[in-house]
Amino acid sequence: MINFDNVTKIYPSQSRPALENVSISVEKGEFVFLVGPSGSGKSTFLRLVLKEERPTDGRIRVSGRDLAHLSNWRVPMLRRRIGCVFQDFRLLPNKNVYQNVAFALEVIGKPRRFIRKVVPEVIDLVGLEGKHERMPDELSGGEQQRVAMARAFVNRPMILLADEPTGNIDPATSIGIMKVLDRINRTGTTVVMATHDAAIVDSMRKRVIELEYGKVVRDQSRGVYGQAY
Amino acid sequence: MRAQFVLQEIWIGLRRNLTMTVALIVVVAISLSLLGVGLLFVKQVDATRSYWQGKVELSIYLCTAQSVSVQCKQNGPSTAAQRQQIQQTLTSMPQVASVVYQSQQQAYQQFKQEFSNNPSFVSTVAQGDIPDSFQVKLKNPQADYGTVASSVTGKSGVDSVIDDRSILAKFYKLLGGARNAVVIVAVILLVAATLLVANTIRLSAFSRRRETGIMRLVGASNFYIQLPFLLEGIIAGLIGWAISVGLLIAVKSLWLDTLQQYFTFNVILSAGDLVEVVILAMCVGVLLCGATSFLTLRRYLRV
Repeated sequence: MINFDNVTKIYPSQSRPALENVSISVEKGEFVFLVGPSGSGKSTFLRLVLKEERPTDGRIRVSGRDLAHLSNWRVPMLRRRIGCVFQDFRLLPNKNVYQNVAFALEVIGKPRRFIRKVVPEVIDLVGLEGKHERMPDELSGGEQQRVAMARAFVNRPMILLADEPTGNIDPATSIGIMKVLDRINRTGTTVVMATHDAAIVDSMRKRVIELEYGKVVRDQSRGVYGQAY
Repeated sequence: MRAQFVLQEIWIGLRRNLTMTVALIVVVAISLSLLGVGLLFVKQVDATRSYWQGKVELSIYLCTAQSVSVQCKQNGPSTAAQRQQIQQTLTSMPQVASVVYQSQQQAYQQFKQEFSNNPSFVSTVAQGDIPDSFQVKLKNPQADYGTVASSVTGKSGVDSVIDDRSILAKFYKLLGGARNAVVIVAVILLVAATLLVANTIRLSAFSRRRETGIMRLVGASNFYIQLPFLLEGIIAGLIGWAISVGLLIAVKSLWLDTLQQYFTFNVILSAGDLVEVVILAMCVGVLLCGATSFLTLRRYLRV
């Protein structure tokens, strides 16, 4: 599903590569944790998958497509098949829960009937049934992240990228978030989650890829966060 | 669905930077009005010019009892024999298209008719004050004026030779100067309008960066992301244009047309001329706003 082949990324303003000779292969339906300290290249990895950045060297394929050969005007098509969740939720403060989720479909021109049907389903899936009318500032952090996950998943993407989704949430609530991610993964969606949260990684027992200074230092199925932390 | 969404976004954008939008509309309105006035001026001058083109080109005034020039004082009023000789000289020249003799009585009648709206002025002039003349039309006024004029200048019985175009030239120069001033101010204002469009769109893009960020993330096409901003600029331009149309109609009917009453010739611009100017102003307004918005967006809404 995601193939990195000797990928190196050097940002113009920095001498040290953000990623160096990274080769990673994530299969369809996998759940992968991307761990490592800040600046280890986790976010760069996610941005490369979305083609928000181009690799300096190496080849990236997403669902069999070589991103280098993907023309600019087709990038939106790629992004429609990838959902994204962030640490800071990125909800629209002037739209309620339903509107925030529906927005993702409206802007890609889905018909209104389709939106009316699928949005409530996804809101139920993330456990926010009955809160359609709530505004983001009336929700707890965990609930806001559920809205963000609903928005990321509403178009049924093949891949869900989560960049420290539990970073702003207390441990007890994080468990609920992880349950939703697990539920999404069980529908066949590939999930890649960058995180610092050792407790979560240890409890989930999924594949762990550890990055350090832009290099893969560990790739372990059913792994833990690591002894050093 | 799509249309409703886009319209909603435009409305939000226009309302969010209301002050900038109003400033933009006002500047576009004024600059397009001035541009239109400049164009109307051009048309007015052209119309006046072509009106005169078919009229007199060379007037040869003859000596009368009242003539004050030295030459006439010495020789006295022109005689019939002198007139005949002058007429013969003129008609024999290949450059001359036609020669018409206008007697003093005819000249007075024409004068009375042309200034019929100013009776007090007419009453100060008596028949005999206006000299008789030859009205000469040339085949090629630009090239042959000098030759023809010199052939009769100084002949006995001739008072003065006047190129009618030299009188009109001053008038054209005046109109031309006014037109240039208006067009220069219009161009400066159009530059200001361009900068304002760029700034408005940039502000609009900035205040909605959250929305556009999410749109990009969920895979909205560039067209879909940019369209509301583009239309926002174009709509502001169109509103400004609509205001300028009102101003231009007022300028034409209240000013240019009224101005004509003070001249003896009536060269009132047709409604068609006004429509032409107004359509041109719309093209300029929409192109300016649309193109500027588009270029600004390319910088601020990168994929």
